Amino acid sequence: MSFLSPLFLIGAAAAAIPIVLHLLRREPEQRVKFAVVRLLRRAPVEHTERRHLRELLLLALRVAALALLAMAFARPFLASSAAAGTSGVTIVALDRSLSLSAPGQFERARQLAKDAVARAPAGDAVGVITFAEDVHVAAAPSGDRALAVSAIESATAGFAAARYRTALNQASEMLDGRRGTIVVVTDLQENGWDAGDRALVPESARIELADVGEPPANLAITAVRSASNRIVATVRNAGPKARDARVHLVVDDRPGGDGAATIGPNQSAEVVLPGARGVTASVTVDDPTGVAGDNARYLVLDNASRPSVLLVTASGDVSREAFFAQHALVAAGREGPAYDVVGIGAAQLATWDGAALTRHTAVVIMSTRGLERHGRELLAEYVRQGGGIVVAVGPEVDGDVAAEMLGGLITIAPPPRESAPRTSVRALAPADVRHPLFQVFGAGSSSLSLVTFNRIAIVSSRDCHTLARFTTGENAVMECEQGAGRTLVLASDLDNGWNDFPRHATFVPFMQEAVRYVSGGRARGSEYLVGDAPAGLPARPGVFALPPASGERPRRVAINVDPAESDPGRLTPVEFEAAVTRLQDTARAEGRVQDRQQEERQHLWQYILGVMLAVMVVESVIAARTA
Amino acid sequence: MQSGARERQFLDPAVVARLGTLELKARTIVEGFLSGLHRSPFKGFSVEFAEYRQYMPGDDLSTIDWKVYARSDRHYVKKFEEETNLDCHLMVDISASMGYGSRGITKYEYASCLAAALGYLMNRQRDACGLTAFDDKIVSMLPASARPGHLRALLVTLSRLELGRETNVSKPLHQLADSLTKRGMVVLISDLIDEPDRVIRGLKHFQFRGTDVIVFHILDPDEIEFPFDRATRFEDLESEEEVMAVPSVVRPHYLKAIGELIDHYKRELGSCGIDYHLFSTKEPLELALLAYLSTRARAL
Repeated sequence: MSFLSPLFLIGAAAAAIPIVLHLLRREPEQRVKFAVVRLLRRAPVEHTERRHLRELLLLALRVAALALLAMAFARPFLASSAAAGTSGVTIVALDRSLSLSAPGQFERARQLAKDAVARAPAGDAVGVITFAEDVHVAAAPSGDRALAVSAIESATAGFAAARYRTALNQASEMLDGRRGTIVVVTDLQENGWDAGDRALVPESARIELADVGEPPANLAITAVRSASNRIVATVRNAGPKARDARVHLVVDDRPGGDGAATIGPNQSAEVVLPGARGVTASVTVDDPTGVAGDNARYLVLDNASRPSVLLVTASGDVSREAFFAQHALVAAGREGPAYDVVGIGAAQLATWDGAALTRHTAVVIMSTRGLERHGRELLAEYVRQGGGIVVAVGPEVDGDVAAEMLGGLITIAPPPRESAPRTSVRALAPADVRHPLFQVFGAGSSSLSLVTFNRIAIVSSRDCHTLARFTTGENAVMECEQGAGRTLVLASDLDNGWNDFPRHATFVPFMQEAVRYVSGGRARGSEYLVGDAPAGLPARPGVFALPPASGERPRRVAINVDPAESDPGRLTPVEFEAAVTRLQDTARAEGRVQDRQQEERQHLWQYILGVMLAVMVVESVIAARTA
Repeated sequence: MQSGARERQFLDPAVVARLGTLELKARTIVEGFLSGLHRSPFKGFSVEFAEYRQYMPGDDLSTIDWKVYARSDRHYVKKFEEETNLDCHLMVDISASMGYGSRGITKYEYASCLAAALGYLMNRQRDACGLTAFDDKIVSMLPASARPGHLRALLVTLSRLELGRETNVSKPLHQLADSLTKRGMVVLISDLIDEPDRVIRGLKHFQFRGTDVIVFHILDPDEIEFPFDRATRFEDLESEEEVMAVPSVVRPHYLKAIGELIDHYKRELGSCGIDYHLFSTKEPLELALLAYLSTRARAL
């Protein structure tokens, strides 16, 4: 039985009143020495025991009457069989990220997870998910706890980084509108939340944190780069004491040299190793007690093939139609030019296929002139398969075409006509400077406000995130997620037409970061993180041969662990929960509507009031006899 | 109203019970009682001349004063102050049930005072007075005597009595009836908590032997009115039997039972000429003396 207004059940506490009165008025038994007891014996004596029973019955009837009254006000109803069958769910989310591969850490995590299964309320379905970059449902919610324990037993720590958002979102989906608890078994690593990450959890779900504890002291290779015939390795000491790090270089499976450095507690140091000619290299550090997975980092020395960015313009002549964007992307850094840029006319995409498109790390669309349906579908599929697109909504971009290409996630309206010249300057203002797109600017992100946008498109969406706004309030940069890929939409152009962005120093890093961000870490082309490993390659560190696309030669890529996993920074439970957005439980709201309808059909309160009246009549009769 | 006014002239039994010795109690009761009477209405054989009265047919010829006849040629009879040689036996119930009292005086105290007052009155009237105390048997027995010092012995005996065990009224009645050799009067002071028929048979035994009997049935007001209101565990004073009862429920049945018991005694004893007087311990003892004197007058 359920109640529509269960708060009225508090009124049942009034049932204590007759009990209290009964206790207060209770008198000790009177004893009298009497001479003619035999005459009493002859009389039909009402024995005290019987009277006591009758009084208890009266008390019970009065208590029952009050309880029934409270119950009637609480509007009870019999839940439908489907609803009655709804039980709670406990989802155990087990962190299997790299940081938990330190000796003893994952065993402890497994034990905590098993404890959580054992603690789950009786009758609750229990499910197990393991998570790092992605989420794996190890055991779907069911009453079979042995299955859940078995899934936990078979889980192992991997090489990917922890992503709490994906884990919590998956767990919330598995709750499926039911009440439940999400037990997150983790080491609370700070980098598990990306900047701006928000997990969406129903407000009815409870989140419990099972803290595995701080990982042991650890040495990690967090970066390796080849520069000027040398190999530079960055070594981090994530421990409370200074340590001597011994670093070894292996080039094409042959020792390439050693290096050493003394690194202070929680500090990093660069170790320069002699350069060597070869194809692949790996750098390792001696660390028998820490996380093993981050003791090595791999590098492809043959970096002739830089990641390619496809610029879609009206005719494909990037030197004329995308001059600034092209030069921003090919601008050389410490390691040479960041990207190769290939231009194509929008109409030419009609002859392309998916394989040709996937050879490019990212696509920057500056024109939709002539972009036919096939091209639009090709681009949409490219994003769904994990590709990244940057759309600059300039004069050459048709809003409807771009919206269709983005799967209808976004609405793009042409720039409004301004009747009078604006007196204020329209500039760019990031919504969250911690977002990867703006992290590169650091404290200098305010320099973005120096860019003046004369014309803009009106971009709006309910499903995409706003990363930056114009100072006049309109959306400036929006991020949409489609399948495995990302799209960034800039509500202005990139060719010095509607704004003076290309003439500012912030343009080059913005372009490169935008492409890097939409390409999801694949920007280097020859180096991937474990979580972003291309399809067909194992999700573990090493150097692997990427299956060639048609007409191309095989390419070697290095897959490394996310260096963020070597960061020992930890969250407090409060900080963890601060990144969780509580969603109003729509399923529960719908359930309440159903409950109300059920209650109105049944009208149980009327029957209960009837029973209460009957109880009071019986009480009156017995009370009259007892008086 | 009249009864109330009359009772106010008498002493409250509870007040009497608080007086010191039995002798003092008896004297207080009797002297107060007698001083309230203008003149002794109990006339009879006496050595002290009282008055002459014209002879009426039926008068004893021996009472005619022949000297007066000789002088006046009229028949006059001589009236003397009262004097008898009546043997009176006070039978006092000292069973445990007599220990009940609710108004500052127990039935036993009331019975003792009554017996002492009767003894004092008898002694004052020169009647021989004896005492028999009993519970389920005769516990103490003082033969009847009219000697002046006998009253003291009787009062001492009364004051030394202690409450006994269960009541068995009939057995001591038969024992005493068998032991009496001379006609007289027996005064039974008891709460009569026994089988009524057995009690009545015992009393009839006295009548069979020509002895007049007065029964003072002593009950506590609680036993007559049953004023209890709360659920109560009633313990029997004699058998220690316990009955838990709710008085409000039991009262009508109890009052009916006690009423029937009293009516039974009144009816059965009255039918065989035995004086039966029911006394509540709140009623003045003087009323009992009055009842005794009335019976005695009839007996002479």
